[in-house]
Amino acid sequence: MFKLGQKAIEIARHYRVDFADIRIIEERRQGLGVKNAAISSLYDQTTLGYGVRVLYRGAWGFAACDRMTPAEVQKTALRAIAIAKASRLLMSTPVRLAQESSYSDFWQTPFLKDPFAVAAEKKLELLFAVDGVLRRNRKIKSAEANMRFIREHQWHLTTEGSRIEQVLLSTGAGYSATAVENGEVQVRSYPSTHGGQTLGGGYELIETLNLLENAERVREEAVALLSAPQCPQGEKDLIIGGNQLALQIHESVGHPSELDRVLGYEESYAGSSFATTEKLGVFRYGSPLVNLVADATLPGGLATAGYDDDAVKAQRWHIVKEGVLSGYMTNREFCGVIGETRSKGSCRADGYANIPITRICNLSLMPGTTPFERLLGETRDGVLMDNNKSWSIDQRRLNFQFGCEAAWLVKNGKKKNLVKNPTYQGITPKFWNSCDAIADHSAWRLWGVANCGKGQPGQTAMMCHGSSPARFRKVKIGISG
Amino acid sequence: MKTIDSALEKIFRLARGVQCEVLAETKNSALTRFADNVISQNVAVTSTDFSVRLSDNGRTAKVNLNQASPETLKHAITTGLETLRRQKKDPRLQPLPKPRPLPAAAPVYFSETAGITPAYRAQKVRELALACKKSRQTAYGTFETGSNELCLANNLGVFARHLESSAVYSATVRDKDGLGWAEYPAFDVNAIPFRELNARARAKAYASRAPRELKPGKYTVILEPQAAADLLAYLTIYGFGGQFYNEGQSFACGNLGKQLFSPLLSIEDNALCGASAGLPFDYEGQPRQKVALVERGIVKGVVHDRRTARAAKTASTGHALPQPGSMGPLPLNVAVKPGGGSLGDLIKGAGRAILVTQFHYTNLLKPHNVEMTGMTRNGTFLVENGKIAFPVKNMRFTQSAVEAFNRVEAVGGVAEPCVVWGRISCPAMRLGGFNFSSSTKF
Repeated sequence: MFKLGQKAIEIARHYRVDFADIRIIEERRQGLGVKNAAISSLYDQTTLGYGVRVLYRGAWGFAACDRMTPAEVQKTALRAIAIAKASRLLMSTPVRLAQESSYSDFWQTPFLKDPFAVAAEKKLELLFAVDGVLRRNRKIKSAEANMRFIREHQWHLTTEGSRIEQVLLSTGAGYSATAVENGEVQVRSYPSTHGGQTLGGGYELIETLNLLENAERVREEAVALLSAPQCPQGEKDLIIGGNQLALQIHESVGHPSELDRVLGYEESYAGSSFATTEKLGVFRYGSPLVNLVADATLPGGLATAGYDDDAVKAQRWHIVKEGVLSGYMTNREFCGVIGETRSKGSCRADGYANIPITRICNLSLMPGTTPFERLLGETRDGVLMDNNKSWSIDQRRLNFQFGCEAAWLVKNGKKKNLVKNPTYQGITPKFWNSCDAIADHSAWRLWGVANCGKGQPGQTAMMCHGSSPARFRKVKIGISG
Repeated sequence: MKTIDSALEKIFRLARGVQCEVLAETKNSALTRFADNVISQNVAVTSTDFSVRLSDNGRTAKVNLNQASPETLKHAITTGLETLRRQKKDPRLQPLPKPRPLPAAAPVYFSETAGITPAYRAQKVRELALACKKSRQTAYGTFETGSNELCLANNLGVFARHLESSAVYSATVRDKDGLGWAEYPAFDVNAIPFRELNARARAKAYASRAPRELKPGKYTVILEPQAAADLLAYLTIYGFGGQFYNEGQSFACGNLGKQLFSPLLSIEDNALCGASAGLPFDYEGQPRQKVALVERGIVKGVVHDRRTARAAKTASTGHALPQPGSMGPLPLNVAVKPGGGSLGDLIKGAGRAILVTQFHYTNLLKPHNVEMTGMTRNGTFLVENGKIAFPVKNMRFTQSAVEAFNRVEAVGGVAEPCVVWGRISCPAMRLGGFNFSSSTKF
């Protein structure tokens, strides 16, 4: 593949471009799904293609193609140059990339069991078994269980001399049960919502999820939600657990810290950010307990790799340190704006057909020192919310509203009855500043986000957020129409 | 074309003995993105993807690939057949469909649009950027052009082919703390009113400067077409899909023939002609039908594929998505019947109301009454005594779409093309008692 890719590099050098790279990607995906006792998904997908990115006299061009011959690679490289020339019709300051060493390296996601070597019937057997348990109540009108596996083999060459080969592997599984009665619809999911849990690694992840063992509880909670009282309205102390806190981190810290959107480059679509560059190092984002660390080297992370798609080596850095805004997700194009001479390496593309853009890395809330039981025990009048159901945040990432699948009232330090349709609203810095307790490392888990959308044309990226349950004081809850 | 035909022939040969369906999609698309008055990204992609569904006596499997060499095809189909053979039989699984006569497609392919160059896109984008620079405004947005060819065939004789071009111009303009927006999706680039869109986005950015905070609460709202389309997308997806209906998750369940909405509201799904036209067959190669979803506020019907139709003891309306799938059939070519009058007339007819240009990050809270939340964006204004009084800071709504569309006070006379998941042709509307639950800082 490197030989094929070299053709694009030769063309780029011939035209004396400032920078060019080619990413050849072979991707294999397998998806299996069972819904209401029938197969809802069973596919095996292999795609192969390449994207050529060219920086020509300070302007970008990108072209992608799936025809794997030297002649087509040449044609695609020339197309990228022609597009870059068109970009020059409307440019101001020429784009300059931050320096990075060149690398010749191979990196691979560590795994124990190759998920593609496990027979489909074995996977389906587990999904059908889960589905069977979920449907053992007539109020469950929809049960859905699925698994998915992705292996992305990349060959990345740059005009700077990097030759990087990487094999990224992810594994995911999950299920949900939807209970319906008299116009009421309630859903419970496991291990998390939006397709379940996905992490970097192999089939061993499936074996640690205890999918079948949790199905009965999930079914009964979905049914119990039908007759549960509404989540109360008002201001209460909120304990957030499960993948909900992961999504809170994602939406209210991850996206606002993407430097391209901070600088306005996403204004037309996803929006911008309140966390503007003059706030770096001084803005109190959260309480002093709050430490959020980006980490492309995190074991099991979905954004974990040896190098990003700017050919920058993986790094670990603070976004929020002791409550203060301390860093951004950066790429080589924009890191200079905040005075950094080197990108943090947070630039990634979705497959071969998309241009790399600034992305959220794995971003985790560092654990606190309070055991979860004590955190709960010290809460007099609160609500514990679990698993995201809906999410929405304004275009500068300030005003948010989240809905969760389930919540439990907490009275005098005890977890009490289940309530349905829990929601909460807040303004990002006020919310993170209200954080007064974070559970310790024993409750810390890594949660995968496998469907993060950004960019035009739309791209999907995956990343992880680690967290242990945390408590936020006086949050507005129970919003309804 | 030759590559597709040759690949189909090879795939059917390799899959001899079982039922086989091939979906081949060839995409040529290019997008010029601009921000801060310069081109920030400029991309193009050419690709052909094959999706092969195998079915045999209650068993199914699918392989997807984008390389059509004899070796790749042989490996993929062999893998698929192996997966197929090892499965347990599902007696409920339907065999692949036989061919049915297909309706003619609306004219949706324009070679000039398919062949647009990066220089043409740059020139169009430049017009807005230069105008903005001159007036100390900042332009952001995209101009996307391309073509898409879809071919669906099975070895029982189904063969359907569809070619369409597309061009979408989207302009966002910042003027100090004001933002404005305008967008137009079209099959033919010549249908896009670039100057009018640029003027609209720039004027709205100017008018929305120095917004004031408004208390949350219930307000009459005037929704411009894109804002109304955003709510309608959720209403139609979660209300009129055959699977949601069969599972009792839809508000239409038990309410067919009943008045759930304002008599001013009529909605149909129509891929065959009109502003929301598109693919004239579904993803099993079955003919799409025009389906009345709401007539004068009365719930009239839902869309089905063969599977949900069988469960509901009715006929398919030709709305299958790629099979097998978990969402079931969905209406993706929605058209709202226009009423009368302009956006200006809707404003004139309002006492106190909030005018919404666009919603941002909408999401579903409760499926059965389609309770949603989301923010306003790119121009929100208070209307008093039939006139725009002043711009307001963006607000969050938390509101059931079923209830909102029951309180339609007026529907505008001009439907505009919008894209939210699928195509929606939608006019502006005025709705009473719309719940805003909080506001934000800008």
